[in-house]
Amino acid sequence: MITHLPDWTRTIFRLGRPVRRPRSFSDLFSRFRKILESNNRILDLMTGMGDKLSGDYIFDSQYIHSTCREMGNLVYMLIQDLNYIAGNRYKALNDAFRRINTSIEDILEGRPDTEEASLYVLPHTKVNTDIEAVVGSKNANIAELKNILGLKVPDGFAITTNAFRLFLEYNGIDLEIKKNIEQWHKGQLSSAIAASRISRLIKQGRIPPRMKKQITRAMQQLSVSAGNKKFFVAVRSSALGEDGQFSFAGQYLSLLNEPRDNIFNSYKSVIASIYTETAMEYRKSTGFEEHEVAMAVICMIMISPKVSGVLYTMDPMKPESKTLIINANWGLGAPVVAGEMRSDSFEIQRDSAHKIVGMNIVRKTHALETLPGGGVTIKEVDPDLQTKACIKAEEAVRLAQAGLIIERYFKQPQDIEFSIDRNGTIWFLQARPLNIKEKMAKMVCDIREIAKTYPVIFSGKGLVAQSGVATGKVFMYKKHESLDEFSQGDILVAEQTSPIFAQIARNAAGIITDIGSPTGHMATIAREFRVPTIVDTQVATSMLSDGQQITLDADANVVYDGNADALCYYEFTDEHFEQTAEYRLLKRVLKKISPLNFVDPEDKKFSPKYCRTFHDITRFVHEKAVEELINLNYYDLKHDNSKAVKLDLHIPLDLMLIDVGGGLEDKATDNNITQENIVSIPLKAFLKGLTKEGMWCSEPMSVDFGSFMSSLTRTFSSHLANPKDIGRNLVIMSENYANISLRLGYHFNMVDAYMSDNHNDNYAYFRFFGGVTDVRRRSRRVSFISEVLAEHNFRVEQKGDLIVARIKKISRAKMEESMTVIGQLVAFTRQLDVKMINDNYVAKYIDDFWAMTKHSSG
Amino acid sequence: MDETKQITILILDDEPIVCKRLKSALERKGYHVETFSKSSEAVARIREKTFEIVITDLKMEGIDGMQFLTEVKQRSPKTEVIVITGFATMETAKESFRKGVLDFLAKPFKLGEIFQVIEKAEKKIQQTNQEVSE
Repeated sequence: MITHLPDWTRTIFRLGRPVRRPRSFSDLFSRFRKILESNNRILDLMTGMGDKLSGDYIFDSQYIHSTCREMGNLVYMLIQDLNYIAGNRYKALNDAFRRINTSIEDILEGRPDTEEASLYVLPHTKVNTDIEAVVGSKNANIAELKNILGLKVPDGFAITTNAFRLFLEYNGIDLEIKKNIEQWHKGQLSSAIAASRISRLIKQGRIPPRMKKQITRAMQQLSVSAGNKKFFVAVRSSALGEDGQFSFAGQYLSLLNEPRDNIFNSYKSVIASIYTETAMEYRKSTGFEEHEVAMAVICMIMISPKVSGVLYTMDPMKPESKTLIINANWGLGAPVVAGEMRSDSFEIQRDSAHKIVGMNIVRKTHALETLPGGGVTIKEVDPDLQTKACIKAEEAVRLAQAGLIIERYFKQPQDIEFSIDRNGTIWFLQARPLNIKEKMAKMVCDIREIAKTYPVIFSGKGLVAQSGVATGKVFMYKKHESLDEFSQGDILVAEQTSPIFAQIARNAAGIITDIGSPTGHMATIAREFRVPTIVDTQVATSMLSDGQQITLDADANVVYDGNADALCYYEFTDEHFEQTAEYRLLKRVLKKISPLNFVDPEDKKFSPKYCRTFHDITRFVHEKAVEELINLNYYDLKHDNSKAVKLDLHIPLDLMLIDVGGGLEDKATDNNITQENIVSIPLKAFLKGLTKEGMWCSEPMSVDFGSFMSSLTRTFSSHLANPKDIGRNLVIMSENYANISLRLGYHFNMVDAYMSDNHNDNYAYFRFFGGVTDVRRRSRRVSFISEVLAEHNFRVEQKGDLIVARIKKISRAKMEESMTVIGQLVAFTRQLDVKMINDNYVAKYIDDFWAMTKHSSG
Repeated sequence: MDETKQITILILDDEPIVCKRLKSALERKGYHVETFSKSSEAVARIREKTFEIVITDLKMEGIDGMQFLTEVKQRSPKTEVIVITGFATMETAKESFRKGVLDFLAKPFKLGEIFQVIEKAEKKIQQTNQEVSE
């Protein structure tokens, strides 16, 4: 598909050497601008790709390929631009880029991701459905029940299909398999003989050392999570294709209550079960190719249950009854699953009340139980318990609730295995789709009839953040003001999105908001839990009422009055968007693109080596580019076309300006530049605050301050003196940018800001350091500044008498306000430390400052 | 929408995800939808059945979208054709419109966008039908 090489491969060899030629400021500045632009474009592409997962878009694999290519080029250029500015000090970014980009290309080209291909053993905490090809769907599903849905699942790990292949190759069994299968297909060998030959070889095989090491380590981790107490494990199959289109139900081996030391033999027995006569004949009859055969294995801590069973979230015999079915028996669940023992059955309504509508309690004479030394045995059930219902009503309700959470998440009726321990905790052991599509089909009414039965409340109003269908009762957040009364399966309706909704998202059938963005935090959560969500409807809270039964169709962007179950069933029969190859491809490449692993630039791990995604690189480059520009020693640069000019101010302050483009009015002459000639957005806003009436001549200033100031702030020509001594009152600016260095009195202020109509570009950085008085007084002044800045939503770091304040990504108007505040602060505080004799003054001056800013602005 | 008669739509796109998503979304809106991911099969189908709306990709192996829509329009000028493509250029857009295409959507697009275009097509079809019956 990709026919031409990405741009970076052509330039990568050219840019390896340090740049020696002198760099002018305008060069550096234009590179910096390029970084900001690329940065924005990358973030745009990233959000765009994330949006496509909502299901509201039609996209194809061509889109995924071309977007990845564009993003790769941009990230590469970003790195080169930073290295230009920083004199090649971040060359390690090229390695990070190559590492990530190669992974993305591998994924796009359908090659096994190098990272994935090296996985032999994985704890369930690191397993998800994206790596189903490596762990099998059983491992993937059970891990998501635990990791995403937060349900109780015994701790465990996956032994991957890579391990399976490694084991076969290591022992040369792969060739034997091929030979025997060929003979069987040619009719030279019966399937029984071929199967027994292959499985004997597997059982005799040796576990490759590196695999052995990883399994042992994983087992040790399990031991830690078992509280270092003695534990046994369940070892079960998780073959590729199992539980999918072909069910292979009950064909592969599950070993229960195995001693942990026996893991290698258990493993071999389980993988050998893929070569039984039945399994081979089944594959042949269903057209499942032998070369597709690969088995991952689940190893999980064994629990000794009081009762176990199977939960169907719909009745496969009569789905129209809208009930869930539980079959259970005392002890372990295997006989229930296999249908070998009689079991109690319960029929529970799917409605949120989960009333038990049917029950069949049988005499359960025997149960499968664990043995204290490992293994299992069939025991006679205590006569008192034999005719007693093994599931309590309250447990049935909890099972039903969890079952529907799982069904909503996987968007298909589910077949779930569970155990309940002696403390009443429900443990989930397996979840797979209940294949009743054909039966479901007859429940689906003509979709066009829906609108006749159920009035449309609103349609096409909002933006779809996650597609899907939900029915349920409205939970109006505004009315309840807390989530305490939110019940499972409610549809959350709120004015705006809030981070606190994350805690109930997994229990919500759907989410609708008045305002919000499909790229916001809520949307991310909705997508993670696959909760149908529409944001930005404008009307949801006014048109819906608390407790109202509604149907949310986020596929068609419609909200109906009433419970249009048929729509949900329609969705069950539909091919799921989430299961298409393109969706999964997009999701997999996004893993290498959008997660941001860096939060704190002060962290030691904030370095190229730890960049794991394009977002990490982008974040790193942006941070460093700003830092470089701030720390630039301007005096080493050749100021080509830009000449320093003096700014005339009505306050006693000399300020030199270097305009690198569009910072001054065209008509301004070099000789007489006044504040009115300034076009530069950040500088203009800064000067507005700096020269504000009352600020400059405020009370804290000493009477002779004017002369004091002017003597200290006189500017010398930068050609004549050592830049260390003079020239600190310097502004480098363009229309949107200003870098202001001021030495007022003995303290040093530095402001670096970029402001435009695109709020994503905007930032202001303010650094304040030093002073003439003793450290304690200076620190008081610093506290004052911190408080004022924090009030204005700056992120403030304070270390002794150093302040660093940052604000970014807000609108131009707000940025201008922030810049004016900085200007005011600089003016107001320049000598404040002299006055701040004790800490009480801090509060006093803050009050004074507010009074003054209020007064003069009002 | 006419309650007795469903509008018939043929979709041709070599990427199955496009067909699948569009088919399910449009069926829910009550349209009769047939999808094809091989252009030769789509050509065979339009030779035996006239569709009211045809949605086609442009860049495909074998018979490309432009050839396909040309034949559609020749056989049945009343059929409204909507082009969806990931390689949108001014030239292809112009050529499509010259051939009588109703609208041109660049992939990726929102479902809402294609719904609008289809509604536009429907209105045109209804108008033409009225004119004929008058």
